[in-house]
Amino acid sequence: MTGSSLSGGLDPRVRAAAVSAPVRSAALRPWRTQSAQRLAFGYALLAPAALYVLLLVGAPFLFSLYLAVSDANVGDPVARFIGLENFRSAWEMDTFWIALQNSVIFLVVAAVLKSLLGTSLAFLLLQDFKGKKLVRGLVVIPFTLPIAISVLSWKWMYDSQFSVINWVLSRMGLIGQFGTDGWPIWLGDPKLALVACILVNVWRTFPFSAIVLLAGFTSVPSEVIDAAKVDGCSFLQRFRHVVVPMIFPILMIGFLFDTVFTLSDLSVVYLLTQGGPGNATKILPVLAYQIGIQAGNLGRGAAIALFLVPLLVPALILVLRNLKRREY
Amino acid sequence: MAGPLTQRRKELRRHLWIYAGVTPFVVIAVFPIYWMLITAFKQNPDLYQMNNFPFWFNLAPTLQHFKTLFYQTNYGSWILNTFTISAWVALITLVTAVPAGYALARLRLPGSENTGIAIFMTYLVPPIILFLPLSRVVAELGLQDSWWALVLVYPTFTVPFCTWLMMGFFKTVPMEIEEAARVDGCGQAGAFLRVILPISLPGVLTSVIFAFTLSMQDFLYGLAFVSPGDQKPVPVGVPTELIRGDIYYWGSIMGAALLVGLPVAVLYNFFLDRFIQGITGGIGK
Repeated sequence: MTGSSLSGGLDPRVRAAAVSAPVRSAALRPWRTQSAQRLAFGYALLAPAALYVLLLVGAPFLFSLYLAVSDANVGDPVARFIGLENFRSAWEMDTFWIALQNSVIFLVVAAVLKSLLGTSLAFLLLQDFKGKKLVRGLVVIPFTLPIAISVLSWKWMYDSQFSVINWVLSRMGLIGQFGTDGWPIWLGDPKLALVACILVNVWRTFPFSAIVLLAGFTSVPSEVIDAAKVDGCSFLQRFRHVVVPMIFPILMIGFLFDTVFTLSDLSVVYLLTQGGPGNATKILPVLAYQIGIQAGNLGRGAAIALFLVPLLVPALILVLRNLKRREY
Repeated sequence: MAGPLTQRRKELRRHLWIYAGVTPFVVIAVFPIYWMLITAFKQNPDLYQMNNFPFWFNLAPTLQHFKTLFYQTNYGSWILNTFTISAWVALITLVTAVPAGYALARLRLPGSENTGIAIFMTYLVPPIILFLPLSRVVAELGLQDSWWALVLVYPTFTVPFCTWLMMGFFKTVPMEIEEAARVDGCGQAGAFLRVILPISLPGVLTSVIFAFTLSMQDFLYGLAFVSPGDQKPVPVGVPTELIRGDIYYWGSIMGAALLVGLPVAVLYNFFLDRFIQGITGGIGK
């Protein structure tokens, strides 16, 4: 009995095939119909997610390319093609260069600080000790707390008058009294504001660095370490030649995720200083928001946001290369 | 005889070193949360003075800030908005990401691995690049200035992430279970709905949690798309509505932030390892 006769053989072509070559088709047809069915079912299941992503990520991304070469703004819905005008005007804007510079400084300084803190914390959490679970749970809170919410706490701690940070530093004799020049106004002083913003980013993401690193360390099988020990490797040699190469992919991915999120995050700076004082903490996302939404110049805002792409693409390519190697 | 004693002393010393190393990290991580907590319950005269010891109550604790929050602001609506948005986002994520993850992991579609990676990569397209074109989409659909705009756009990051998560999850379910179901007369859909889905409940639940916690991490979309005071979710409403010019209501702000932020943080905490596994592609398993 063949599959088609069981199901009534509704498809005349199938039935014709069954008549002309009964032996071959009996072997082939169940496989063929089953596989076609499987594919149809598969694409049906995949379609909603794929469509959502195509329509609301893919299409908007292409649309942002179009916006960037048009004079679209909030008041006038009819956009004209104006070529690279938006990019050129951004290029000639002093604020743009300040924002680009601040973005890069922000990224690099924050990355150095969070990898130092993250590495030390990861080494500590690698040890066995009582209360480790609790410590781990507490230490990751900055990363798990919604960002807009934790930034508010920092805004209050950086208050120009009632800053608890200043209270402590002042009692320790490290800074002057309130009202004197020695009293730092964290968010109001152009020299301190960027530092203050970077510190919040570091505070928020060093637990992430630590946990990613920890996941890497624990993925190295202890037999490999033992084998290296037996072969007479010192701790440093084991670390450099065994552990680091093994955890490199995971480190890379963690690092690149962080790069993408730090570069494109607007909430820390927007909530603390809105880019001020002056342009001291202006970064590209804040500038894109201010021009695109607040000033209503969609085209120029999109062009500025797109300047992030060349900074992000190397990161994306590296993530892609590492994900391709993922195993289960 | 001295053996066990020195052993214990050594162990104690090791612990002391570790605690000494860990304490600064814990203090740095937790202090801002403690500071929020105590600020939320301090009376105003206690908050705005500089001479007392600030780390504890100098006047009796008060619930005044929470009263202000619930009676004089839209905080109640924000909480409601937050939960309604999250529920919709979770629903949309479930009905799209779970089937997609299953299809990519199990149905041997041509190029499924690359399709999976492509979908996941869209998670890395930052909102700052998408928010201007999306503002146009939102306006075209007439959703501007309503929290429905956020129901529409939050899945742009939860769907890619959860599809990837479920794809990894479904790959760990043994193939034999499915085959057994097929032999027992289940169709393709039947095997998925009646056999695979029930045993994948932990993975499905994880997706729901992420739809919720990732939505809570957004600030930009809420800021750009929703301006009426009563339509905002908590993470957007608190910083934009409770800070008026130079007048701050720090007690209320901290209370508002903490009341919603802390439960989210605790929930996320339990699922953090899944998140890390998700983004590192399961290397660290």
